Order: sequence, then C-alpha cells, then structure tokens
Amino acid sequence: MDLKYSDADREFRARARAWLAVNVPTAPRPAHGPASAQFDRDWQRKMYEHGWAGVAWPKEFGGLGLSGLQQVIWYEELGRARAPHYINTTYIALMHAGPTLIARGTQSQKSFHLQRILSGESLWCQGFSEPNAGSDLAALKTRGRVEDDVIVVNGSKMWTTDAMHADYQELLIRTDPGSERHKGLTWLICDMKLPGIDIKPIRTMLQDEHVNMVFYDEVRIPKANVVGEINGGWSTALSTLSFERGLGFIGDQLELYERVNRVIDLAGKTRLESGKLAIEDDGIAQKLASLKADALAIRAMTLAHITESDRTGQPGPQGSLMKLIVTATHKSLSETVGDIIGWDFLEFNGDRAAHPWTYDYLWSWVFTISGGTSEIQREITADRLLGLPRAR
Amino acid sequence: MFLAPDGDEIEITNAAADFMANAMPIERLHAADSADMNAALRQSVAEMGWFALTLPEADGGSGLGPVEHALFFREVGRMSGPIDVLTQCLAAMVADDPQLRAALLAGERAVALAVPSGSETRLLGARDAGCALEVTQTGARLVSIAGAQTVERPALAPACSMRLLPHLPDAVLATATGAHVWQMGELGTAAMLLGIAEAALDLIVEYAKIRETFGRKIGAYQAVRHPCADMALRAETARCQLWYAAAALAEGREDAGTHLDAAKHLCNQAALMNTDADIQLHGGIGVTDEHNAHLLLKQAMLLGKLFGGKRALLGQLLTAQVQD
Repeated sequence: MDLKYSDADREFRARARAWLAVNVPTAPRPAHGPASAQFDRDWQRKMYEHGWAGVAWPKEFGGLGLSGLQQVIWYEELGRARAPHYINTTYIALMHAGPTLIARGTQSQKSFHLQRILSGESLWCQGFSEPNAGSDLAALKTRGRVEDDVIVVNGSKMWTTDAMHADYQELLIRTDPGSERHKGLTWLICDMKLPGIDIKPIRTMLQDEHVNMVFYDEVRIPKANVVGEINGGWSTALSTLSFERGLGFIGDQLELYERVNRVIDLAGKTRLESGKLAIEDDGIAQKLASLKADALAIRAMTLAHITESDRTGQPGPQGSLMKLIVTATHKSLSETVGDIIGWDFLEFNGDRAAHPWTYDYLWSWVFTISGGTSEIQREITADRLLGLPRAR
Repeated sequence: MFLAPDGDEIEITNAAADFMANAMPIERLHAADSADMNAALRQSVAEMGWFALTLPEADGGSGLGPVEHALFFREVGRMSGPIDVLTQCLAAMVADDPQLRAALLAGERAVALAVPSGSETRLLGARDAGCALEVTQTGARLVSIAGAQTVERPALAPACSMRLLPHLPDAVLATATGAHVWQMGELGTAAMLLGIAEAALDLIVEYAKIRETFGRKIGAYQAVRHPCADMALRAETARCQLWYAAAALAEGREDAGTHLDAAKHLCNQAALMNTDADIQLHGGIGVTDEHNAHLLLKQAMLLGKLFGGKRALLGQLLTAQVQD
C-alpha cells in the first residue's frame, strides 16, 4: 500500500497544469442549443490538437497510452483549472462509444470512428432505454429485420440525451424476432442522419429539453455497423455499461471535495433566518463535515479502484458502489445548500448560471436515475459482489 | 500508488486472521468471565510479537508501520478482540525504559486504558492491570495504579471490562509527547471498527443465503438485498479511506491526521450502521444472546467513543484541508 506518485506522474501533472492554465476557454459555455455542442466540439478539438485527448486510451487508437492514475491526475487538473465540465455533448462518445469500440469494434470501425471521437468531430448519443425498458433493459422491443447487407430498424428509444446534437448513436435492438430477454439483441452504430429517424424532445423538471424520444421508421443500417455479433449485443452492451459504472463519473468523484469546500465557504458567509451564520448551526456544520469525509473517501475509492484496474487491465466489480455513493453524496450536498440559503433555493427559472444550487439539486435525480438507477446498482452489488440468491 | 493489501501485507493479514481465530475467536464471548485478555492469552499474543509490530527493531520490535498496524487490528476487530491488545501496543510505544518496555512486550505487565469520564477516570480492559495508559492528541502517560481503589462497573460490551477511578494517580512510569500515540490509537480503533463492519456484513450475507421465508431464500428479497448492498458500500468507503490514512501516516504526509479523522468517522459510522442492520435483517435470532450479532454492535459502541467520537471528529474535519 502506498500513495506515492512516480516521477512520470508528477511530470505529467505539472505539464497538464501548465497547459490548462493558459488554454482553458474563458468564455462561458452556452447552456443550450447548437452553440453548446459547438463549444464542446471546439474545446475537445483543442485538447486533441495539443495532445491531451484520450489520456488512458491505447496509443494505437490515438490516445496517450498512459495509466488510469494519470487519467485521474488529468481530471483533477481539469477541475482545478475550472475547465469546461466533462459531462457535456462529448460524454457518450468519449466515455461509452470509444471504449466499447476499442474493446469490441472491427478494425474498420476503429479506424473510422476513434480518431473522430477523440478530436470532437463526432458526437454520440445512447440508444438503450425504451418506454417499457429502462431498469429492465433486456425487455427492449425495438426491432431490427436482418436483410442482405442491412438491418432495418423500427421502434423507439427513450431518455436519449443530446440526440439532436449527435452524429452517431450506440443502438441496442432486438434482431432475433423469436428471442426473449438478453438473447437475440444486437449493438449497432446508427448514423443519426439516416432517413426515418425522428427526434422528439422531452421537457424535464429542470425546465430544459436535453433528453429525447427517438423514433425509427424503416431505418436502414449497414450490417458492417454491428459491434460484436449479430444477436450477441447483450455482451457488448455490458462492456459499454461497465465503463460508465467504473470510470464514467471520475471527474465528479474528484470534484466533490472541492464542491464541499465551496459550500463550507458559503455557510461561513450566509445568515440563517435566526440571524446566526449557517456554519454556526450544529446540524449544518456536522452535515458539511460528514460530507467532507465522504468526499475524501470517494477520492480514496477512486484511487484504490483505478490503481487496481491499472494492474488487472479492467474495471472491477465495485463500479456500482462508486455510482451509489457519488450520486447520494451529490444529493445530500444539494439538500444541505437548501438548508443554508433558505428562500433563494426556491427561486428558479431553468437558468443554471443564475440558480446553480437549485439546478444541481434538481439534477441530482438525473444522477441517481440515469446510467442505472440506485436500485439497480444495489441489485448488481447484491448479485456480483455479495453473491446473494438472484431476485430475478 | 496502490491502495489495498499487497505482498507481505497480505501475509500479515492472513497470519493475524489465523492467530485471532485460534487465540480469540468471537465465540469466546459467550462464556462467563470472557472480558479482557487473561495472563495466558496476553503471553500468547506477546510470543507472536503482535505487541511489538510497529516498534523499531532497536527497541525489540518488528519495525513495521501504520499500514501493518491497521491490517492487524482489522482482524482483531473482526473477532471483537479486547481493547487491551491495542492498549498494550501503545504502552510499549510510550515506555522508554528498556526493562519496562520488555515487560510490556512480553505481556508480563498488563495495561488498562484510562479515559476521562465526567470528573472521574474510566479504566477499560485489563482488569488485572497494575498500570494505566492515558492518551491525548498531544501526548501520553503511563501511570502505576497499584493499590488504587477502583469500582467495577457493568460493561455493555462483553469483550471489555470497565472500572471507575476517582482520579488517576500521579505515579508516572513513562511519558510521550506529540501526536504519534494518539494517531496509532485512532488508526487501531478505526481498523477494529472496519473489521466489525465487515464481519457484520459477512454474517448477514451468509445467513441470507440459507434462511428461507415465504418459500424463498431471504437473500432473494430486495428488502434484504438492498440493505446488504448499503452495508457493502459503507464497508468499502470506510476501507478505502482507512488504507489511504494508514499509507499517509506511513509516509509522514502533513495531511495524514485529517485523512485519519475522516477514516475514523467513516469506520465509526460503518460499524454502528452495519451491526444495526445485521441484527435487524436476522430477525428474531439476531437479538438472542447466543448469536454473535449483538457482540459486534456492543464492541462498535465502545470503540466509536475512543480516539475520536463523532462530534470531535466532525469538528476537526470542518476546517481541515488536504493535499493532492
């Protein structure tokens, strides 16, 4: 057991810090619309051109080929430099699609897509959930009819974040018409400009429209876009999800400590209705100190898991625990802010910049539901980590 | 960087687990008069060199550090081992007289842990002790209590006797200054609490795989599965932070004390909440005297008050900062 960084780790941190200090965009990111996606593409392209994209991706696929620990260092420095948040329109491409293609894609899929993903040229969205298949993903019904060289898709997908900005979609469908559950599924690369695709935004409680329904009417996708085997898509989908549960929230994991400190500062200068400072309230002070301990532990967990996967070469089974604690800590921190700022917490018009704390509070449910709900993460933990008898 | 037991550390963990399973299995606590270490047990711990684990080789120790200390006490915690084991280790760190130190390392002199209790002093463990160790965040002193009148108090935690003493005598045998002894005490109790949190999880997971209600194993019900997952999460969180704190202490990092406070707080919480859930999920059998579940809870309640309780730890954490 040791906490030592190698010379290479320290040198990497110093170079990252120096580059970020002068290259982080100074203009704020537009909140919505095509301008927001263009902002994300431009920032990703800049990182790519200066040799900072894909820190832990293998060199042969355009990455830097560095360790998971150096990837952690990069995210810490992004947070320190107040760089644009990494959960943006490039997220699915970089955190889901890229790693899945590296693990399971064909040579030509890799050579076409990976460089475009790293450079911000291609944005991706996810097409897994459906109106009747969310937590129970294997209940999905969107059909793919296999004809000579194409798969013809009919059906609908749900909760697709940023579908309107995406160039491609990771699309999970049922290709064996007689199949049930996990069998007979196929993971496809879907070009979002194909005829027959229709996107309908869903307005959320955050008063925004970042998630969508996507409808498919006789959409013809080349067979060459199958990732993994036809009818073997479940196994490809599991590798996609393991990346998200393992490392997908790495930036948030590391940022939490800084966020807790910001709330402690806020409590030190905000007066409660009683007239005393929020930090002088025992309940608030204890809650914040306890959240700080949680944030420290989350960072220790991140380092423990990443240095373990640096040895084994793959994310461990503790990813579900990580998602549980990161999302619960986020929510708890937001609730505490509500106790501190009183009536201001109840003012909201959908503008994140104007009402950041309330926005984060409303977002906390997106966090505990998307990417596998907290309940599903507990099920996965009970099955895979504890080996309890199957409930399903 | 690596934050899990590795190489020799795994061997120490296995050796400690084997030793505890033979010398102090938790089942011992179902017999009468099972609190504390008796002279024979203290001698067998001494013979294995556990009291001397982190003492420098020049002082008759093994020269190991905080990481090994934490790994050992995690196994002590799993078996709800008495606080005496830790007190004896800490007392040997304080003793500068070679003869005194040798007697402590050999288990020939027993030491009780002295903690403030209102206007009096509470002595924990080692009912036959002739001396007591008092530890604060800035130092420690070992005093003789030979001939002092103590009042036996009924102890909730079966592993550890409790006595009251109107005031601690001034017959000082040895003193230490600085944070080291307190930090090793905080680390040792945190590690014991982690062991308790893990043992409680193991107990319920094992039971949930065999116990049936309504024609199914209870481990198939989400009302049992989800609290078990939460127990696993609390243990994992506390464990990762404890390893981080132990390594930070071993490497002499300036922020080690803050990481240790976070670890102690998370271990307090994990042990109390996991032992609570363990009893509840067992149902009726969980509240019986013959079951081990209550032994873990009661030991967690004791250890949670030593070397940093909730209020003190959170007060320190609120303003503390850490490095990269």
